[in-house]
Amino acid sequence: MTPPMTPPVTRMTPQTRSRRLVAGLGLLVGLLTLASVAVGYAALDLPAALGDAWAGRPTLPALVLMELRLPRALLGALVGFSLGLTGAVMQGYLRNPLADPGILGVSSAAALGAVMVFHGGLAGSLALALPLGGIAGAALAALGIVVLAARGTGTQGLILAGIGLSSLAGALTALVLNLAPNPYAALEIVFWLMGSLADRSLDHVRLCLPLMAIGWVLMLSTARALDALALGEDIAASLGFDLVSVRLRIVTGAALAVGSGVAVSGAIGFVGLVVPHLVRPLVGARPTPSLWPSGLLGAALVLGADLLVRLVPTRPELKLGVVTALVGAPFLIALLVRRGDGR
Amino acid sequence: MRASRRLGAAAGLAAAFAAFPVSAGEKPAAPGWPSRVVSLNLCADELVLRLADRAQVAAVTAFARDSRGSTVAAEAAGVPVTRGLAEEIVALKPDLVVAGAFTTRTTVGLLKRIGVPPLELGVPADFDGVRAQIRQVAAAVGHPERGEAMVAELDATLAHVVPAARSLRVLVLRPNAFTVSPGTLGDAIIRAAGLVNVAAAIGRDRTGSVPLEAAALADADLVVVDASETGTPSLADALLHHPILERLRGQGRMVAIPNRLWTCPGPQIAELVARLAAAARERAP
Repeated sequence: MTPPMTPPVTRMTPQTRSRRLVAGLGLLVGLLTLASVAVGYAALDLPAALGDAWAGRPTLPALVLMELRLPRALLGALVGFSLGLTGAVMQGYLRNPLADPGILGVSSAAALGAVMVFHGGLAGSLALALPLGGIAGAALAALGIVVLAARGTGTQGLILAGIGLSSLAGALTALVLNLAPNPYAALEIVFWLMGSLADRSLDHVRLCLPLMAIGWVLMLSTARALDALALGEDIAASLGFDLVSVRLRIVTGAALAVGSGVAVSGAIGFVGLVVPHLVRPLVGARPTPSLWPSGLLGAALVLGADLLVRLVPTRPELKLGVVTALVGAPFLIALLVRRGDGR
Repeated sequence: MRASRRLGAAAGLAAAFAAFPVSAGEKPAAPGWPSRVVSLNLCADELVLRLADRAQVAAVTAFARDSRGSTVAAEAAGVPVTRGLAEEIVALKPDLVVAGAFTTRTTVGLLKRIGVPPLELGVPADFDGVRAQIRQVAAAVGHPERGEAMVAELDATLAHVVPAARSLRVLVLRPNAFTVSPGTLGDAIIRAAGLVNVAAAIGRDRTGSVPLEAAALADADLVVVDASETGTPSLADALLHHPILERLRGQGRMVAIPNRLWTCPGPQIAELVARLAAAARERAP
């Protein structure tokens, strides 16, 4: 596998800080997950529900807890972790501070893949087809981005390509939904483009969790290579990293994590963009110590946004992407302006 | 499938021209009554197709042919359809346009400006409103006697409904978890079946949709869902197959009733009352 690389002989602080940060963020994600289980639209006697669920009594409160509240909280954490981690890995690999599965079109392409499978009726006959559709879409988009990057396309070029890809995937999603024979389908583009965790089920968790986990492992396995890549591709290659394998693991990992997430939650934007930038001031610019904190902060962000959409009194509830865009879009603009000033 | 539908529309158009203006086997409407009726809304389609002569109907909406939402899919076969666009309607040279009070507003506005006043149907909130609307459309198409017959049949069906021994609590969940709000016709239908609408007590959003957890915790004796399995998936329908609702199904609380019976205020509401009452009798003999 990848040869061990001795960490730069400087202070150990980033590593220690990263570890502390991971512990703190892990605690935060845990608390937010509990809060997400506790918050809902109907009064639920949590201790009683928990007792019933523990004893295996299928009472209504126990069913609501296990079939609605828990999957919603778990999916928030899982999807958020995937988006945060993928954002950090992509920013590290592309050496591009604007990289994000949403901005680069990976999420929209995943949504297109999931929509084709779901509204085409394939997901009805084979449940696993839904995440696989999302993964296929995400994989094609990620592959396209990586090929462009390999051909020397710069930061701005990649972002523009991503915007083009997002628009194309969005338009094709609308087309597929409008051609779908079900009269409700056309209205469902909001879910696929903005994302929501409302009324999901444990089935969705079961579908996406294993595939996501494989994606995380693949992406985390590239951490050292990402550190080396920060010094340039030639140096990374001279240090013994197989760049083709790294590229393949990142594309596959991002596709698995984002694709299966989008297939069950729709495309939630900006998480992967914002989170690594919030983490870096705390752990430094090296990719490795930012990966786990980015994933966890992504989980916290999505869980927080999902709590917010349930707490603000808008009914029907806001889509998650609305909240993440409210935070993320100004952030993106600020990043772009700052880059412009630097020239 | 799309191609065949288009072919069907073309064939229907040809048939319409061939059949026009003499209709075979039907008593023609009295002179002076409309001979080119266009309907702009599914609920208007249902009443027009049932109450007017086939030869009087110049066009209905494309929704009328979709048996999932329409109770007149058979009657609509072969009738030209429109999408309710102003230019389509004007080109048909209608002498009566029946529209819904809340749909195709641009078209209705234009028709008023060019002097074809449309008959606008409101959304009745009770059985009297339904009876009045049936009579109104029947009179407009020149067959008031058919309206009276339809109302009589509706009342006869309602008179034969036997409610359950005790009044069960019911929650209607249509695709996207839309429920029946209090004060609407649906609510009146539930009451007519001798049932109590749980939706009054749980949090609905402005559009009448309920969060699934509120729906589950409402602990209704009966949960009414759509019966049709279309094989054309949507998230809206998938919601009604959420595991928590499947658990309620396992407890025998679910009742499947075709969505089309809920869609429009027509004579079919009597069948709806009868089916709800029958389901309740089964659950509480």
